[in-house]
Amino acid sequence: MNINQLIALAPIMTIAGTAIAVMLGIAVRRNFVLACSVAAVGLILSLWSLGSAWREIPIQTGLLIQVDAYMLFYMALLLSSGLAVLGFCYDYFKDREGQNEELPLLLLTALLGGSVLVGSTHFAAFFMGLEILSISLFVLIGYPLKQSRPLEGAIKYLILSGVSSAFLLMGMALIYAQCGELYFSGIGGYIASRDDMNIMVLGGIILIVAGLGFKLSLIPFHLWTPDVYQGAPAPITAFIATVSKGAVFVLLLRYFISTDSYAYKPLLNIFSVIAGLSILGGNLLALLQNNVKRLLAYSSIAHMGYLLVAFIAGGSISSVLLIESVTFYLFAYFITTIGAFGVVSILSTPQTEAEDISFYRGLFWQRPWLASAFTLMLLSLAGIPLTAGFIGKFYIFAGAADSRLWGLLFAIIVGSGLGLYYYLRIIVVMSTNAETTAIEPAQYSISTAVLVFLTMLLIWFGIYPTLLVNVIQLVAYAT
Amino acid sequence: MGIIELLKWVPLFPFLGFLILVLAGKWLTKSLIAWVGVGSVASSALLTALIGAEFLNGTMRPYQLVLGHWMEVDDLSIPFGFYLDALSVTMLFVVTGIGFLIHLYAAGFMESDFGYARFFAYMNLFVSAMLVLVLADNLALLYLGWEGVGLGSYLLIGFWYEDPNNGYAARKAFVMTRVGDTAMLLGLFLLFTQLHTFDIQLLMLRATSQWTPGAVLPVAAATLLLGGALGKSAQLPLQSWLPDAMAGPTPVSALIHAATMVTAGVYLIARTNALFMMAPPVQFAVAVLGTITLLMSGCSALVQTDIKRILAYSTISQIGYMFLALGVGAWSTAIFHLLTHAFFKALLFLAAGAVIFCFHHEHNIFKMGGLRKTMPLAFWSFMIGSAALSALPFTSGFYSKHEILMAVFEVSPLLWVLGCLGALITGIYSFRLVFVVFFGRERPAIESKLGWRMSLPMILLGALALFGGMLRIPLDSVLPDLFNIDHGFNLVSFITATTSFIGLLIAGLFYLTGTFSVQRLAGFNLVKEIQGLFFNGWGIDALYDTLVMRPFKTIAKLNKNDAVDGIYTTLVLLSRGSHFLISASQTGHIRWYVSLMTLGTVAILAIGWLS
Repeated sequence: MNINQLIALAPIMTIAGTAIAVMLGIAVRRNFVLACSVAAVGLILSLWSLGSAWREIPIQTGLLIQVDAYMLFYMALLLSSGLAVLGFCYDYFKDREGQNEELPLLLLTALLGGSVLVGSTHFAAFFMGLEILSISLFVLIGYPLKQSRPLEGAIKYLILSGVSSAFLLMGMALIYAQCGELYFSGIGGYIASRDDMNIMVLGGIILIVAGLGFKLSLIPFHLWTPDVYQGAPAPITAFIATVSKGAVFVLLLRYFISTDSYAYKPLLNIFSVIAGLSILGGNLLALLQNNVKRLLAYSSIAHMGYLLVAFIAGGSISSVLLIESVTFYLFAYFITTIGAFGVVSILSTPQTEAEDISFYRGLFWQRPWLASAFTLMLLSLAGIPLTAGFIGKFYIFAGAADSRLWGLLFAIIVGSGLGLYYYLRIIVVMSTNAETTAIEPAQYSISTAVLVFLTMLLIWFGIYPTLLVNVIQLVAYAT
Repeated sequence: MGIIELLKWVPLFPFLGFLILVLAGKWLTKSLIAWVGVGSVASSALLTALIGAEFLNGTMRPYQLVLGHWMEVDDLSIPFGFYLDALSVTMLFVVTGIGFLIHLYAAGFMESDFGYARFFAYMNLFVSAMLVLVLADNLALLYLGWEGVGLGSYLLIGFWYEDPNNGYAARKAFVMTRVGDTAMLLGLFLLFTQLHTFDIQLLMLRATSQWTPGAVLPVAAATLLLGGALGKSAQLPLQSWLPDAMAGPTPVSALIHAATMVTAGVYLIARTNALFMMAPPVQFAVAVLGTITLLMSGCSALVQTDIKRILAYSTISQIGYMFLALGVGAWSTAIFHLLTHAFFKALLFLAAGAVIFCFHHEHNIFKMGGLRKTMPLAFWSFMIGSAALSALPFTSGFYSKHEILMAVFEVSPLLWVLGCLGALITGIYSFRLVFVVFFGRERPAIESKLGWRMSLPMILLGALALFGGMLRIPLDSVLPDLFNIDHGFNLVSFITATTSFIGLLIAGLFYLTGTFSVQRLAGFNLVKEIQGLFFNGWGIDALYDTLVMRPFKTIAKLNKNDAVDGIYTTLVLLSRGSHFLISASQTGHIRWYVSLMTLGTVAILAIGWLS
């Protein structure tokens, strides 16, 4: 391994190193503030080292990981999200009983897994990254282990994740059996060399899709989502919803582009069915939901469905536009989802999790700024103009219309209509005047700062998306 | 130019009065309210007198004043422009002069009313809108005033809103006039799309130069404008709102539903006379409709018992005469009758108001009687008013109506005969009212004290009703004069003049001397039925009820559940149903989750391999 490769891998190694440092730190002295600070410094260092890595790309490091613009951009997104979640975690956990020091450590390992995932070009890295991510998540979900709901969520996620990994491995095995290749590019070469479809390869890819579909909580692999979202502590839910899903989706996209699996038309049929089901099913499930965390869980199912439509459109639009639309949508989704769960985590106290909709009654009158931020997040999720969510959804519409996916477009329209109902319902509840006793505002300065930053980004990219679009296009052309 | 440049203040004074009363009326004392409400119209009247004097003594050249632009889009430009000529000066005199007298009267009449400020606010708003209507130099601004007076009328008919019947009457007036207004609006659109301007003078010029007489376009445009005029002036077939409009306070009836607003239709047709002359069939229809209306409502007036309804029907009938005059092309005569009618009808209403005032809001004439001695002012007002109404010689009404009938004779002897018949009926019902209320057995009037504010307008209007026939403003600069009527004595003139005497005589025989008795006549079934028909205004209301309201209500009832909304309700139900259906899959049981995942995988494998 030469020096260039080392520089290119520096961001990943920084995270790994920070994880070890945090672990050693805990061994010496248990201190939540210290652990969080070390983790934050490590994340910032890693983000900083992305800059020097940018000069070395594209470069193949070792056998498993390709460091390129695509990977670095998404790493930046994942690490920033990790930093934001860490900020929420700090305020959320600082007053709670129990030993919370391992929490930043687990966040770091999860981010490590995610980073490996977005850079993997080989089944081994793919699986390793996914498992590092997942195993960290099991613990994170069940972190408040004296409560039953988090534990229930963790166990469910563990078992179901195991099932999905089994599908995934079986799929990899089938593909390997046929192609004799584990590299994505090698598989791509095999597929390109054959005129007809190979039933084994097809089956393998379908099984991989099923495995990843679980992580993305696409229907019919979605059943865990509400239980886990509800059980996990609010900041961790934000993490699952964004970092975990985002990394997996990025991998799926890379896999499909580099193995040229778009050539397998039946796959697009499968995706269409899954996307349609996810959009309609997710929105319908969220429709009358009274638990905000479950509601956001169902809505995330629908959002993954929307994203999948852009993915399907990739079969006929240029890969640049595909990456552009998926990336913008993911970016907007990250901001709004972290922001929305951030509000939930700010409102939650060690005694109660702010998940029931009645908790939000009259929030506008008690905490107008927080309620306004939440409103903006919800409007962005609904895709209302002047928020980043609108631009993201616009990309999806444009891609779907370009590819003439009229059926899916119709599903998106119906889904957006349904979505508007339940997002607005929360806003209505927040603006109803209620005689509830005022929630005493906790001093969550870091969380508040993060939320303000996210809100500003949301509006900025909603009104003036050009800057972000330019960056994304740069990445898309470099890939 | 001098004082004429202050023209804009004529409508602005009452509008300011309206604003003050609306915004600050709550805090003003009654006398202050009266000062503002009456004073604003008085200022307008004074200004009008000055402007009118200057105008009439000058060259009488039309004067145009543009205050600003209302809207400007592409080639559409609508200014706030006023246009002063002999016709608008006449109307200004009527609106501000009579308006002022009635306001003064109302200051006394409404003294004890709770909504004193509200009343004057509405009245000022009305006067302001009416002034905009008569001054407007373009049809769009005229339409603004037109709708403004409609609003004022609606507000004032329903002034005593505690009684739902008054609200109903107000809505009825508003909706029925809206029917006509819609036609008028369409006419405006038609004129604009064809002639590309709203300016009335330009419009008339272009109409006469671009269209051929009797062609489709002028006929259509004139018909649509006529629709508006029929609604506002309560002519067949849109007349039935006016009798119900008497639900408003009596000064309102005097000002709006006798002297000014209801003559707006006459004004509109006179203003656009060039257009109507381009459409001879429509102009003839104006005459025919006027004739039918004057006969029908005259008959209705014969049998009413409510003092105000008698006057209301007589108003419809008199406007019928004006339409008849317009229809035969006696333009300036129509406006002349408008002027004299405004005098004597306002007088009659104010006198009726005095009677009602003293009888504690009793309207039934058969519960009154012998008021000749107890209320001499009201009696003499009624005598003069009725004389003018039935056009007895040397009253103001005689000059105008005589002229109308003489002009009609030159165009169509048949219409003349019908017009004379109408005059006969007018004589009967006018003096029936006088004889029943002021003669006969005396009944004690409980409260007969009228303040100066109520007496003075009646005296002045009485003088005007008697001598107003000499106040004719020469209109030949604006309106074409087609008739050269011989004022000498001839048979036609004699018959025309004597019919009203015969009417007076018949009324006397029935109601004064008791030679004939209505009761005996009513013994015949046929007569009874006719009487009922007349009483109910020829069943126009019942006709509309059957033709329009009932079918509409039936349709509304049929669509009670809103078929279109049903689609959306179904969508909602469908969404909710699906939600509950799918939610059932969220069992929380991990074995089910795993099964569904596996099933799903099998399903997509099947899709992949089979497709």
